[in-house]
Amino acid sequence: MAEQNVDIQVDEEELVDDSVSTDAKQYMTFRSCSEYYAIELKYVNEIMGIQPITKVPEVEDYVRGLINLRGKIVPVIDVRLRFKQEPFEYNDRTCIIIVSVKNTVLGLIVESIADVVTIKDKDVEIPVTLASANNKNKYVYGFGKVGDEVKLLLNPEKLIGDEEIAELEAAVEDAQ
Amino acid sequence: MSEEMDSMLDMYLYENGQLLEKLEMTTLEKKDADCFDEADINEFFRVMHTIKGSSGIMMFDNIMKLAHKLEDVFFYIRESHPDNVPHLELVDKIFSVADFFREEFENISEGGEPTKDSTELIEDIDKFLSKIKNEIVSEHKPLPKEEKDEAPTHFYIAPAVTDDAKYFHVHVYYSNDTQMANMHAFALANALKDSVEQMYYSPEDIITNEDSADVVLEQGFKILLKTHQSKEDIEKILSTHVVQTMEITESSKAEFEMGFDIPSIIVGADTIDLGDEPKEEKKKSEEVTPGDYVIDAKPAGKKATLAKDKKPKAPPQSYISVNVGKIDQLMDLIGEIVISESVVLQNPDLNVPNLNLSNFNKSAAQLTKFTAEMQDVIMSMRMMPLTNTFQKMNRIVFDTSRKLGKDIELKMIGEDTEVDKNIIEKISDPLMHMIRNSIDHGIEEKAQRVAAGKPEKGLITLEAKNEGGKVVISVSDDGGGMNPEKLFAKAKKNGIIPADKTINDFTKKEIYQFITYPGFSTNEQVTELSGRGVGMDVVVKNLQSVGGVLEIDSEFGKGSTMALKIPLTLAIISGILLQVGNAKFVIETSVVKEFINMRQFNTLTDPDGQEYVNVRGQHYMVVRLSEKYHIDGAKDKIQEGIMILTEYESQRICIFVDKLLGGQEIVVKPIPKYIKKVDGLSGCTQLGDGSIALILDIATLV
Repeated sequence: MAEQNVDIQVDEEELVDDSVSTDAKQYMTFRSCSEYYAIELKYVNEIMGIQPITKVPEVEDYVRGLINLRGKIVPVIDVRLRFKQEPFEYNDRTCIIIVSVKNTVLGLIVESIADVVTIKDKDVEIPVTLASANNKNKYVYGFGKVGDEVKLLLNPEKLIGDEEIAELEAAVEDAQ
Repeated sequence: MSEEMDSMLDMYLYENGQLLEKLEMTTLEKKDADCFDEADINEFFRVMHTIKGSSGIMMFDNIMKLAHKLEDVFFYIRESHPDNVPHLELVDKIFSVADFFREEFENISEGGEPTKDSTELIEDIDKFLSKIKNEIVSEHKPLPKEEKDEAPTHFYIAPAVTDDAKYFHVHVYYSNDTQMANMHAFALANALKDSVEQMYYSPEDIITNEDSADVVLEQGFKILLKTHQSKEDIEKILSTHVVQTMEITESSKAEFEMGFDIPSIIVGADTIDLGDEPKEEKKKSEEVTPGDYVIDAKPAGKKATLAKDKKPKAPPQSYISVNVGKIDQLMDLIGEIVISESVVLQNPDLNVPNLNLSNFNKSAAQLTKFTAEMQDVIMSMRMMPLTNTFQKMNRIVFDTSRKLGKDIELKMIGEDTEVDKNIIEKISDPLMHMIRNSIDHGIEEKAQRVAAGKPEKGLITLEAKNEGGKVVISVSDDGGGMNPEKLFAKAKKNGIIPADKTINDFTKKEIYQFITYPGFSTNEQVTELSGRGVGMDVVVKNLQSVGGVLEIDSEFGKGSTMALKIPLTLAIISGILLQVGNAKFVIETSVVKEFINMRQFNTLTDPDGQEYVNVRGQHYMVVRLSEKYHIDGAKDKIQEGIMILTEYESQRICIFVDKLLGGQEIVVKPIPKYIKKVDGLSGCTQLGDGSIALILDIATLV
C-alpha cells in the first residue's frame, strides 16, 4: 500500500496544478458519522444535492439505486452503509458526490460536504496498521493533518471495488 | 501533421464512400433500362473525377488510375454519344470498379495502404472503351490515346465556351516552411476548377511528383485560367487558402493559349521570373497532349441519348455528418431541459391560493409539447433507416442472379424501419450471405420452376419490421425449400449429431438449424458463391455479436424464410409504464397479451405458495413484482391491482402490478455495470420527468 502511494505521488508531480505546490494535494472532505473523510479532488466530478433515487431490487443494501445525471444513469451508494455504519435519514444537507474512478462513474451519498482542503504530502501519515496487507479497514489508506484536525484519506478505488473480490484478494494475499 | 492527415483521410473516405453509394444507387436504378441518360452519365463522370482528384491528393495511385480510366469511358460517352453501348456490360464495369474502390477504402480505413493492383481492371475497361469507340466512326476528334500508367497532368473544367471569357494569370507563393506545398497547390487548383472554364497550372506534376513541393516553394505555383468570373471572385476563392503572397493579373486569350511560355509579356507582374521554367511545359492548349484533355463544348444539334423509361427521381435525402459525441451531448442536454421544465412548471411557488394561472398553463402546455417533440427527434437521431442496407442487397441479387443465370426479383418491404447505426453495420454481411444462399440454394433453375408450376422468375422478399422490441429482418424465397430428411442425413454423415439419434428426436426447426453449424453444406457441388460450408455459421456468429438470433423456417417445395431477430439495445421501443409501490417499471408492449382487471378474479395457491389465476379456463402463473423485488407499499389485495398477461416464446405468465401509468416510447439504456445483473431486468430508461424506470425482461423474470 505504501509503495502504491509513492507511485501516485510521482505521477502527480508531473500533472501538478499551478495553484498547488508540488508536495501537496487537494482533497474534498465530507462528514460521515463523527469523522471527516477526504477524497482526492481529482476523482470528484461534481457535487449535487440529494435527488430522487430509483431503487434497484436485489442488490447490496449500500447500493441505493440509480439517479439520472443529465441523461446519464449513475448508480449511487450510501457511504455510511458501505462502511457498515448505522443508516441515516436523508435531508437537505445530504449530498451526492459524483466520483469517477477507472471509468466508473458513481455517486456517493454523504451526510454533508465540508470543504476542499490542501494537505501537504508530509502531513499525510500512513500508520503501520493501515499499510499492512491484512488491514481490515481497506477504504482508508492514511490520515491527513489539516491544522488541528485529522481527515481520513479514502481510497476511492477500494470504495467502488466489489467487496467480495476484495475479500477474495485479501484471502489470497493472506495465503501467500 | 499526422492528425491533419487523419482528418483528411477520414474526409476522403467519407466523401468518396458517399459518392460510391450514390453511384451504385443510380446504376441499380437504371440497370434494367436500355441505357443511362445524360444526367446519369454526367453524374458518373463527376463522381469518377472527384475520386480521381482526391485519390491523387492522398497519393492512392491505383485508385486514381482506375477512376481515371472509367472517367475516360464516361467522357467518351458524354461527348460522342455512341448509341451502341452494351448497357449491361457497362453496368458490370461500374460495379466492378465500385467494388474495387470499396475494398480499397475499407483497407485504408483499417489502416492499410491501398496496394491492390488495378491494372487488370484498367485493361478490361480499356478494352471496353476501344470496343465502343471502334464500332462507330467518330465525327469528333478522337480522344488522345493514353498511356496506361500516365497520371493526368492537367485538370480542366470546360462546360461551355463563350466569347466573353476573361483570362487571368495567378501566381501564388507559399511560405518556406509549408509542408507538402504541392498538396496545397493542388487543393487550390481544385477549388478553382468549379469556377473556371479552362485552366493550366505549373508545375504540372504536383500530384504525382513529391519533389514538385520544392518547386512550388521556390518558384511559386502558377495558374493560367479562363473564366467568366471577375477578378474579385477568383480572389475570394483563393483567399480561403493559406498562401503567403498571391498575384492575380488579367491576361489575354493569346497569352492564355501560349501557356507558360510567356516570360515578359505579363504587365505589372514583375516579380514573376519564368526564365527557368522547365522546357516541357511549353504546351499549347490546342495541341492535345497525352493526359491533357480539354473538353470541347458540346456540339450543337447532337441530341443526347435518353433512357426510354426515365422515372421521376425520388428526392435525394440530404445528410450532414455530425460527431456522435455532440449528439450524445445534445441528448444529455434535452434530458436536463425536461427536468428543469418540470421543476419550473411544478414549482411550489405557484401554489398560491386564488392565483389565476390559466395563461401560464396554456404557455406551459405549449412548452411541454415542444420539448417532448424535441426529445423525440434527438432520440431518433442515432437511428437510421435500413434503406441503404437494402439497396446494397439489391445489388447482390443483381450480381448473383446474373452469375447463376437465374431470373430473380427482389421485393423489399419495410426498408424505412429504423435501427441503431451500430447494428446496421453489423447486419450487412449476414444479410448478404443469406441473400446469396437464397439465390444459390433456394431458387431453383428455371426449368425446374416451370415444372413445379411456379413462375419462371424467382421471388426473394426482404422484409424488415419491428416486433416485440426487436427488429426482425427476414429473407424469404419461393424456391425449393429445405428437405428435413436430407438435412438430417447430411448432419449425421458430417458427424454434427450423434449417430444414435433418429430424425424423430428433433423438431423441424431444430433440423433447419443444422445448416448454421460450421462445416455443413448440402449443396453437392461447390459453386463460386456458396457451398463451401462457410457462411451460415459466420452469419450466426455475426448476429450473436449484436445479441441477435437466426430463425429458419421452410416448407419443402415452397420456399424458405430466414429471419434475423436483433434486439434494439439502443433503439427506441414502445413500452407500458407501470407502477408497483413507489417503483416504476416498463414492460415491452409487444410481450403484453392482455390486461386483466382483477375485480372479479381470484387466485389459487399451490402448496409451494405459487399463485395461479384462472383466465377463461386457463391457469397462468402469477408473479407479484412487489414480492419478487421486495417493494414496500405495494397493493396486496389481488382485487385492487391489475394483472398483465404476457407471452414470451409461447410461455404465458401473469404479472401483478398496482396500476398502469400508460404507454410510452422509451430509449433502452443499460444498467450501469457497477450494479450486478438482476434477474428479470434488462435495462433502464429515463422517463419524461427525469426519473428512471427499470425495464422488465420477461425471459428472465421467472
